[in-house]
Parts: sequence; structure tokens; C-alpha cells
Amino acid sequence: MSVNPAVSRKARQRATMGLIRLLAACVITAVLLTPILAVFWLSLRPRLYSDIVGPTLDNFRYIFVNTNVLTWTVNSLSVALFATVASLLVAAPAGYVLSRAKGRIVSIYAMSIFVIQSFPVVVFVIPLFVMFAAVHLVDTLAGVAIIYVATSVSVACWMMSAYFDTIPKELEEAAWIDGCSVLSAFVRIVLRNSLPGILSTAIYSFLLAWNDYLIALVFLRSDSNFTLPIGLQTFFQQNQTDWGPVMACAVIMLLPPVLVFAFLNRFFSIGGVGGALAGK
Amino acid sequence: MSMFFQDTSTARRRRLTMAGLALPSILMMALVNGYPVVVAAVQSVHDGGLLKLGDFVGVENYIRVFQDPLFWKSLRFTVLFAMCGVFGSWVVGFALALFLRTRFPGSAIFRVLLLLPWIVPIVVTAMGWNWLVATRNSIMPQLAEALGFGPVMFLADPTMAVITVCVFKIWISYPFMMMMAAGALETVDQSAIEAARVDGAGPWNLLVHMILPMTARSTYISWILMTMFSVNDFPTIFLLTGGGPVNATSSLVVMAYRTVFQDFQPGYGIAITFVITTALAVLSLCLFNLIRKSSVS
Repeated sequence: MSVNPAVSRKARQRATMGLIRLLAACVITAVLLTPILAVFWLSLRPRLYSDIVGPTLDNFRYIFVNTNVLTWTVNSLSVALFATVASLLVAAPAGYVLSRAKGRIVSIYAMSIFVIQSFPVVVFVIPLFVMFAAVHLVDTLAGVAIIYVATSVSVACWMMSAYFDTIPKELEEAAWIDGCSVLSAFVRIVLRNSLPGILSTAIYSFLLAWNDYLIALVFLRSDSNFTLPIGLQTFFQQNQTDWGPVMACAVIMLLPPVLVFAFLNRFFSIGGVGGALAGK
Repeated sequence: MSMFFQDTSTARRRRLTMAGLALPSILMMALVNGYPVVVAAVQSVHDGGLLKLGDFVGVENYIRVFQDPLFWKSLRFTVLFAMCGVFGSWVVGFALALFLRTRFPGSAIFRVLLLLPWIVPIVVTAMGWNWLVATRNSIMPQLAEALGFGPVMFLADPTMAVITVCVFKIWISYPFMMMMAAGALETVDQSAIEAARVDGAGPWNLLVHMILPMTARSTYISWILMTMFSVNDFPTIFLLTGGGPVNATSSLVVMAYRTVFQDFQPGYGIAITFVITTALAVLSLCLFNLIRKSSVS
């Protein structure tokens, strides 16, 4: 019945060390997340000159009545969801080619995709503005959606390629022998086994489109066409000392990506991208 | 098996399918990346406005780039910003990844929480930072004054603005580095680490002689990607300082943006972006080949 003192001492040390690490993690996290916590705190704090005491949702009520925040939210969701689906449709097949095909032409293709990442978006933004003006795509959601797809595709290709590399080729070769075409084997065998890779890439594309500021800044001009980043920033510039409503807007903008990530983070991995880059 | 399929209609059909699968991305890159670059190149040798080409001026815009004091100032800041962004975020990210690998209650939750600076839109986090540092009554200036540093103007003083923007960049970027490091640490051979520990190696030696070398390839890739992200970064700087005060935090990308959309000189602005792009493309191609060679060895 007696417990070995050495064992219990070691167990206590381990528990103590665990608690110390937990405390350290709490402090580190609190410090690092201060700017984000400030956003939440300010969004619930009554405005100056208000007679309300204590936390309140008044700031949220204010922005729904006095700004187009609902329109901006719908705009952002529409654009981000379209960009996510479209970039997957483009990147998954391209990633498959990168993963499975061989030869000099494929190497050139891979290198082209890689190099495109290194271009500052502003290089494309300037002539795209001219092009889009000519075809009336400036100040439209369709215009920014197209650019979001294009900007996310290069990294999305690499993410899909990295994931496809983890799926054995023998599975497809068996399907080919059974009479499947390359395309149907890709859809039925490879894609069906790639849910984590697809979700990972989808999260990346969604975050890129949802969070974008520069492209929206250049291309969106009307309040009714604003996405949340531009609407929020414009509202902020007009209300620089009235933090409550500004931060309420900010909370609305930050909730979707945080929720997406909270529920799907198990699927998200960017480590594979590094592996794919090294392997090509 | 592969010999059996060579030079048959099946092999040709497979190659055609592969080409077809690649076609959407090729078309998209050609239209939204390739063609605009060509148009941009044409604009960079003209002196027109946003919607009109203007007169042909040859390489005048490019000569002007290298004669412009603001270009060199912006280049210097861009290099500083990228260096701080890459190595600062890597140190923080790698340290956090190591820390989170230890077991303690709720460690999985902290793994997600510590990614928030990357997940939360930068427009939002820039506002949080703005509130912390923007005015004399903000928290950080008050704290600095309480600690005896006197009045610190984090966004209005050129030197402090540079520091603030770089710290903000590190804060925005460490989650990416943390994820890359966490992925790399997963592949580290734990039995080798344990063997070294049993042999008496201390934590520092384990880190320097085993963990860092084992994760080196992933680390180099992280540095390359983050270099590109940092040089091309626009919102991190623009949302906090707009490139000010007195151009102290004007990176080349911010300078190019302002030249085109605030000064309405697209030819000159595009020449600036082409200088950036050429340097960065050459750099990324060299590093791409280095990575590929290192993976073969």
C-alpha cells in the first residue's frame, strides 16, 4: 500500500512543471494577444458622452444603423467564398500536374508558378486597373474576386501538390488498369482522399480574400461596393477617436476567419508547402 | 510496366489530360499575371497618367528611379524591414513552437490562440495596434512615460515609427514561422534526441547541434518565403504609418503605390516595382535551385 517516495516526488515535479508551463503560456498569450483583446474590449465599452455604465452592445447597434456594415459583410462573404471555390477548381488540377507529371515543360511550369509569388501585387494592380477600367470591372466585386483567385492560385497549387505527394501513385495506377481515365482516377481516387489538403487550401484562399486590403483599396470606390477591410478602414479614418463603433466593426470582420480556423485548424498545415517547394 | 505504356495512344491521352488539368491555371496566370506585366512594361517606358499612355520616354523612368533619393531611402528601409521581419519572426515563432511541443494542460488551445495574429485580418489588428500606440494618451506611451523614458511618440517620431512597424511585422509574421517550425519539429528523430540527452547533452547543445540542423531545410524555406512576403508587404506598413513620418517607413512597395495612386505617375511607379520584382525574382530563382539541390543531396 505504501507509495514509492521517488515515484510520487517525480510525479509531483512533472505536475508542477506542467503548471509552470501553463502559467507561462497564459502570460505569453495574454501579452501577444493584447492588441486583439483591446479590439474586443473597446467594442463593448460605452462610447464617450454615453450615460451607459458597464459593457454594452450599443456600439454594434450603432454601426448597423449608421453604416453599411451589413452590405460590406455580404460583399466580403460573396467575394471570399467565390474566390475560395474558384481557386480550388484551378489549383487542385494544377497541383495534381505538379505532383505527378515529369519533364522539362513541367519544371518550367513549376518555376513559373513559384516566381509569380515573388512579384509584388502592386505590379499587377497598376496595369490591371487600366485593363479593368477598359472593361468596366473597376469598382465591382467581380473584379476583385478575379484578382483574389489569381493571387491565391500559386500558393494553393503548391499546397495541393504537397498533399497529393502524400497519396500513393499505386492507387491511381490500379484504377487505370481497371479502365479508369486519368481524369476520373484523379477525381475518384486522388480528390476523394484529399479532404484535409482541400480544406487546408480552402482556408488559405478564404483568408487571403477575406483579409485583403490593397486590392480592395485600389479597385473598390463606392461605399455600397466596399468589402469589410475598406469599409472598416474608411469608417476608422472618419471616426478616429470614437473607438467603440470602429472596434465593433472590427469584431464583425474578425469573427469569420477566427471561427473558420477554430473549427478547421486540424486540417490546416503549411508545413507541407515547404516540403513541396524543396521537392520540386 | 512503364515500358508497356510508352508511345501508345493511352500515354498520349494521359499527357493531354495532364495538359488540360494545367490549362486553367496557365490561362489565369497568363491573363491576370502575365499580360498585366507586359502592359506594365509598356507603361514604364511612357510618361502618361493612369488611363492614358502618354509619350514614349525610353529608360528615363528607370534612370530616374536610381537618381531618386527616396528610392534609396525606401530600399534601405525595405531591407531593414525584411530582415527584422524574417529573423525576428523566426526567433519568436521557433521558440514558441519548441515551447508548445512540451506537454501541459490546455497546450492545444494555446497552439490555436497563438496563431490569432495571423488569422485575424490585418486591418483589425492594425487598429488594435493603433489604439495601443497612436496618441500620447495611448497605453504604450503612458507605459513608456511611467517607466521613465519620457514622452515617446511611437508613430510620429521617425525612428520610433520604424521600430514600431518592424515590431508589428514580427508580431504579424511569427505565427507563420511557428507553423513551419512545428511542422519541421514533427519530423525530428526523437530517439536521436533522447540518445543525446542520455549522453549528457544540455538543452542548448541539443538545440544548436541537433534540432536546428535537423530542421534546417524547413527553416531556409521559411526564410525565403518570409523574405518575399516582407518585401512585398503593403498593409503592415500602410495601415499603421502610411509610409510616414517624412517617408521614414516608406518601403519600395509603399513608395510605388503612392507614386501611382497618389502622385498619378504610373510609368515611374511601375519602373520602381519592376526593379523590386527583378531583384526578387532573381533571388527566388537562385534560392529555388539551391533548395532543389540541397534536397537531392
